[in-house]
Amino acid sequence: MAIVELQQVRKAYDTKIAVDSLSFRIEPGSMFGLLGPNGSGKTSSIRMMIGITVPDSGSVELFDQPFDRKNLHRVGYLPEERGLYKKMKVIDQLAFLGQLHGLDAATATKRAHHWCEKLEITEAIPKKTEELSKGMQQKIQFIAALLHEPELIIMDEPFSGLDPVNATLLQDTLVDLRNQGRTILFSTHRMDQVEKLCDAICLIHRGHLVLSGAMQEIKSRYPKNRVQMVFEGDASFLNNNSVESFKNYNGMAEIKLRDGADAQHLLAEAISKARITRFEVMEPTLEEIFIETVGDRVDA
Amino acid sequence: MHNVWLIAKREYLERVRSKAFLISTLMIPLLMGGGIIFSTISTRKSKPTSHITVVSPDQQLALDLKKELETGKDSRMTVDVISPGNSATRATLDSMLLDSQLDGYLVITPASDSNKVPSFSYVPRSAADISTSDSIKTALRNVLLRERLTHQGMVAGDVDSLMQPIKIDTTQAGKKTDTTSNYVAAFVLFFLMYMVILLYGMNVARSIIEEKTSRVFEVLLATIRPEEMMAGKVIGVGAVGLTQVIVWLTTALILTGSSMVTAFAGNSAHVSLSAMQIIFFIIYFLLGYLLYSSVAAALGAMVNSEQELQQLNMFLVMPLAGCMFAIGPVITNPTGLFARILSLIPFCTPLVMYLRISLAPPPMWELILSVVLMIATIYAILWVASRIYRVGILMYGKRPNLPEIMRWLKYS
Repeated sequence: MAIVELQQVRKAYDTKIAVDSLSFRIEPGSMFGLLGPNGSGKTSSIRMMIGITVPDSGSVELFDQPFDRKNLHRVGYLPEERGLYKKMKVIDQLAFLGQLHGLDAATATKRAHHWCEKLEITEAIPKKTEELSKGMQQKIQFIAALLHEPELIIMDEPFSGLDPVNATLLQDTLVDLRNQGRTILFSTHRMDQVEKLCDAICLIHRGHLVLSGAMQEIKSRYPKNRVQMVFEGDASFLNNNSVESFKNYNGMAEIKLRDGADAQHLLAEAISKARITRFEVMEPTLEEIFIETVGDRVDA
Repeated sequence: MHNVWLIAKREYLERVRSKAFLISTLMIPLLMGGGIIFSTISTRKSKPTSHITVVSPDQQLALDLKKELETGKDSRMTVDVISPGNSATRATLDSMLLDSQLDGYLVITPASDSNKVPSFSYVPRSAADISTSDSIKTALRNVLLRERLTHQGMVAGDVDSLMQPIKIDTTQAGKKTDTTSNYVAAFVLFFLMYMVILLYGMNVARSIIEEKTSRVFEVLLATIRPEEMMAGKVIGVGAVGLTQVIVWLTTALILTGSSMVTAFAGNSAHVSLSAMQIIFFIIYFLLGYLLYSSVAAALGAMVNSEQELQQLNMFLVMPLAGCMFAIGPVITNPTGLFARILSLIPFCTPLVMYLRISLAPPPMWELILSVVLMIATIYAILWVASRIYRVGILMYGKRPNLPEIMRWLKYS
């Protein structure tokens, strides 16, 4: 069973193809990252999942059924740009949005209070939206997507414009929700966020799928050929023949090894020439995988 | 249906709670009431109270004129009589004019022949004081006519009764209505309907643009259909308009029912509304509002900002403004062919048919036909508008041209 399944989805606006032959599936209870640079088709894909737009061809399935608006009350959605009534009081706004998702007014209000406490914005409750900071508005929007306890949570760039403290607060909240068994899909152009949080990802570029699958599985496809080290002294060991390329930031080096090279040889030479305080063999970051994959395609 | 109700409720409560609503609800009746009171006071005051001098060798004529000007129907002047006057009189009077002791003086030169009319020359202090010179003219005519009739041997009482203004009692068949008051009420309600339909139609468009720029619609569209959004919005904003109209009408009824207006304005300004006028006002207001607000919803969905909306405004304003130009012909001949055809065109029906009802009730079949035609048109426009709405609301950037809009209609 899949909570979300896209098959060969295509969507074109007047002249531009936003998404083309995009397929992926999201397993129940997973945290799924939809990745890609700006303008790669993330928002277009998300809009088709919640019925704001309809694909030109291909199919979108939610909860193992062909797309049906009736299932939308099981989905919570946070749009990329804040969509709140500026002049409305926060509590009225949340109660209204909760009711649109099928809650009664009392339950919606109660849950809104509960969530505001949890996200540390109780002082915002009696205020109008326009009086709040951008970060606070983002939290209100975040709450609005969760009030009706949806099984599937879809968030378009949920952490953009937040300071690190608040971004972490929301990330932790999402992890909690995943641990409760909800399925979460979020989009971002920040690869580092996805690495920490996601079980599975889909990477898109110019409307086309580049990579998709479970995080560990994707990473294991790529060799552990990255070394990060901190040292004092002579840097000449960096010219070792197992090194393909390196960047030396004044005693902090990032190294890419040649295919098949053994990091132990490099470490041995380094010890003989410099004082090593840290030496770590690393998986490639998603960013590197992305650049590598997209770069290959461009070359080909 | 539940979603439509939620959207409408939010729209209604947010608007009714706003300061702008409170102010406009209070200000319009205050301005209208104030206007009526001011105009009645100012017309009463406008009976000229000037101070003039009459120079005449014919003392009897001068005294009759003085009586007419001081106690006559239309003026409350103060009149001094100099009879017969000498060569220095005019110079003295001129200097009095300069000192503002007088508002003007009238010099009567008797005719050489008793069958001819004497000649008059009036010297005002200010040439702009038309009401004084008009009053003098009327008074002179009355005095001369009376004098002439008496001369012919008529008794004074007969002269007075002959000179009474003629009254025509206008009652419509079977009913006892005061036509002047009907006329005033029709006019006031006509403008009220014009204003409210235009105002609230624009509010629907503005509210859609607001949701578009604040991107709220994206959150809403993730749960409800565009048709539900549009219906809720039109109903919510319409309910606000209806609330305001009911407040105004109630105020008007209380005001006209009480002695307040009568006390200020006398019977001539008494405004009365018949039950039929009120019922049809509400029916045509609702239909007119639905018609224009669905057009406005489509316009709002097509544009990205209020500035762009201004450019498309003419689609809303033009038919309504056209009705304004038609007021003249409709009033002079409310049962004529022009008025009958115009009142059946759905975009004009609310205003023109309503005016006809107030002036001379049209036959029932015309009323029913007009309502049926309006409902059919509203249905058609809602169909088009909801399609434009569902596509247009997701469009940003440039305004769509006509072929693009035609393409939108084929979607879904």
